[in-house]
Amino acid sequence: MSEAALSSSPTGASRSPLRTAAPQSGFAPWKDPSKTPMVRFENVVKRFGDFVAVKDCTLDIYEREFFALLGPSGCGKTTLLRMLAGFEKPTSGRILVAGQDITELAPYDRPVNMMFQSYALFPHMTVEQNIGFGLKQDGMPKDQIAQRVEETMAMLELSKFGKRKPHQLSGGQQQRVALARAIAKKPRIVLLDEPLGALDKRLRQTAQFELMGIQERTGTTFIIVTHDQEEAMTVSSRIAVMDHGEFVQIATPGDIYEAPNSRYTANFIGDVNLFEGKVVNVAGGFAEIDWGPGLARFKAVAPEGCAGQQQVWLALRPEKIHIDLDKPTDASNALPGKVVDVGYLGSISHYHVELANGQRVKALRTNSSRTVDRPISWEDKVWLQWPAETGIVLAK
Amino acid sequence: MRRWLLISVPYLWLLVFFLIPFFIVFKISLSDIATAIPPYTPVFDFSMGIGEFISKLDFENYRFIFNDSLYVNSYFSALKIAGISTVLTLLVAYPIAYGMARAPKEWQPTLVMLVILPFWTSFLIRVYAWIGILKKEGLLNLFLMNLGVISEPLTIMNTPLAVYIGIIYSYLPFMILPLYASLEKINPALLEAAADLGSPPWKSFWQVTFPLSLPGVLAGCFLVFIPATGEFVIPDLLGGSDTLMIGKTLWGEFFGNRDWPVASAVAVVLLLVLVIPIVMFQSNQEKEREAAR
Repeated sequence: MSEAALSSSPTGASRSPLRTAAPQSGFAPWKDPSKTPMVRFENVVKRFGDFVAVKDCTLDIYEREFFALLGPSGCGKTTLLRMLAGFEKPTSGRILVAGQDITELAPYDRPVNMMFQSYALFPHMTVEQNIGFGLKQDGMPKDQIAQRVEETMAMLELSKFGKRKPHQLSGGQQQRVALARAIAKKPRIVLLDEPLGALDKRLRQTAQFELMGIQERTGTTFIIVTHDQEEAMTVSSRIAVMDHGEFVQIATPGDIYEAPNSRYTANFIGDVNLFEGKVVNVAGGFAEIDWGPGLARFKAVAPEGCAGQQQVWLALRPEKIHIDLDKPTDASNALPGKVVDVGYLGSISHYHVELANGQRVKALRTNSSRTVDRPISWEDKVWLQWPAETGIVLAK
Repeated sequence: MRRWLLISVPYLWLLVFFLIPFFIVFKISLSDIATAIPPYTPVFDFSMGIGEFISKLDFENYRFIFNDSLYVNSYFSALKIAGISTVLTLLVAYPIAYGMARAPKEWQPTLVMLVILPFWTSFLIRVYAWIGILKKEGLLNLFLMNLGVISEPLTIMNTPLAVYIGIIYSYLPFMILPLYASLEKINPALLEAAADLGSPPWKSFWQVTFPLSLPGVLAGCFLVFIPATGEFVIPDLLGGSDTLMIGKTLWGEFFGNRDWPVASAVAVVLLLVLVIPIVMFQSNQEKEREAAR
């Protein structure tokens, strides 16, 4: 209730941007095996000639989720969305909405509405007519259409623009009209294809919070396609990271960031340092990793199934590495190096540290005090250290 | 200075090749017929003053053509034939233009070429060719009789039907090209959006495609209707003596009767008949654009 009241602010500015992974605490329907998913992709394959756009994808998306399909262009995320909308037919597999097979349904018979990347607003219709278009197709009486259009426009602060044509609106306003048109029919699922791609960065951030507000107020399932990892992290309850037509990882933003399952995900979301090595010893839940002759072995939490002599990568987020001038006394992992680059950003500083073997490591430090006796600078000999729990051992 | 020169070129062109000739024709239309070269009075005579010269001009020829049913009927018949053939041309051209706009991108330049291709042959020759097709012992009748569809040859030549066929055939490219241009511009995502919002394809056509192609429809209709109204060659060659069209009447007046003043009056009225609705239409469009702003 309080969530809805807060999100009524159009910009969402009153809401804390520091949101936890799930929209409501404890919102995790994907953990509940008794729930019927709102959308289910079942072994969906899509080929265009020889090109395989989507390879055997199986995915469940639940009611009220804000689900993100994230990946570089050409990874199959848009194809997946278009198959759900009905614009493409799967080569094989099934798509179910609320337990009902919709694979063979025409786009105009599906309970989903889409917000297009290009907005695809009807240029010959006013804002009101655009928003009311879907309602008109359903044969809703005129007065009810007018009322619903009114409500939707009020929700998106468009009431002033009802009589205008799309070309008389700014990019941000057009984006809101496109969203209004997609939610006006109160569909069970709203699909968003790179909805904020055409906006500039500042407007995009405002629009992200607006999207989240609308999604929570309407209680609709939103599925967003984006290549912007920050956007996916901000808005979604869960993210599916895609590459070459396959899901690499499906998890909450927090899990994707803190527990990536592969180098691909670790690299795609946020900054990461990767060290290649070999497991030499597993003991007491910790793995010892040899990553080069003459270099101190890493100690990290051993993942399940981790065995000796296995080739692995250690992933380390820059902000989890502690940088210091003095050699630490009791760290599980400590590496000497030389600062080659410093980036001062005010609140934080970036350091690029070159190790003895030539590899460069990125480290981050928050500038928590105004004056420091001796700031770390270029050419400084420094020590990097981190606890065994922060490094992530990746097998692929 | 250079800018003014550049801007004045089209106006100069219009002045020399439209306005001045128009005033000459208009002046002739106010004169009387005479057995002379050129066959009308008065040519400006320096012996009389401007006042006297003007006093000799009158609207007698206009009165004459409005009182003679031949001319009035010719106008109405021409407008009717042009109007009906414009609608028929639109009906034939729309599916063609639609198919072109929906064809694979790499085919489209070829398709446009094919539409323009007939222009490489003389218009007159192409209309003549239709005589060979439409006449009693022509290709069409031979074809239909050999197929057994008909036992008696159809009479198409020298009927209004032949004129309609001729006009539709001749002016089809003028309709297809603007239609294609406006259809091709329509973002395919708009049709997806319409389908997504619950509109089946045939409804999407009337709600999205057709309204967005209206500028092309109007441009095409003007490009066909205006020259078709004044058309002379097609009714003369295919329509026979019974088909009344103002272009034919005008030709007869100039070259048969050698009554230049009346012929000029006919031409001036024809111009007004066509120009006035166009100007009204354009000012209306301008107003709509203003209102949209």
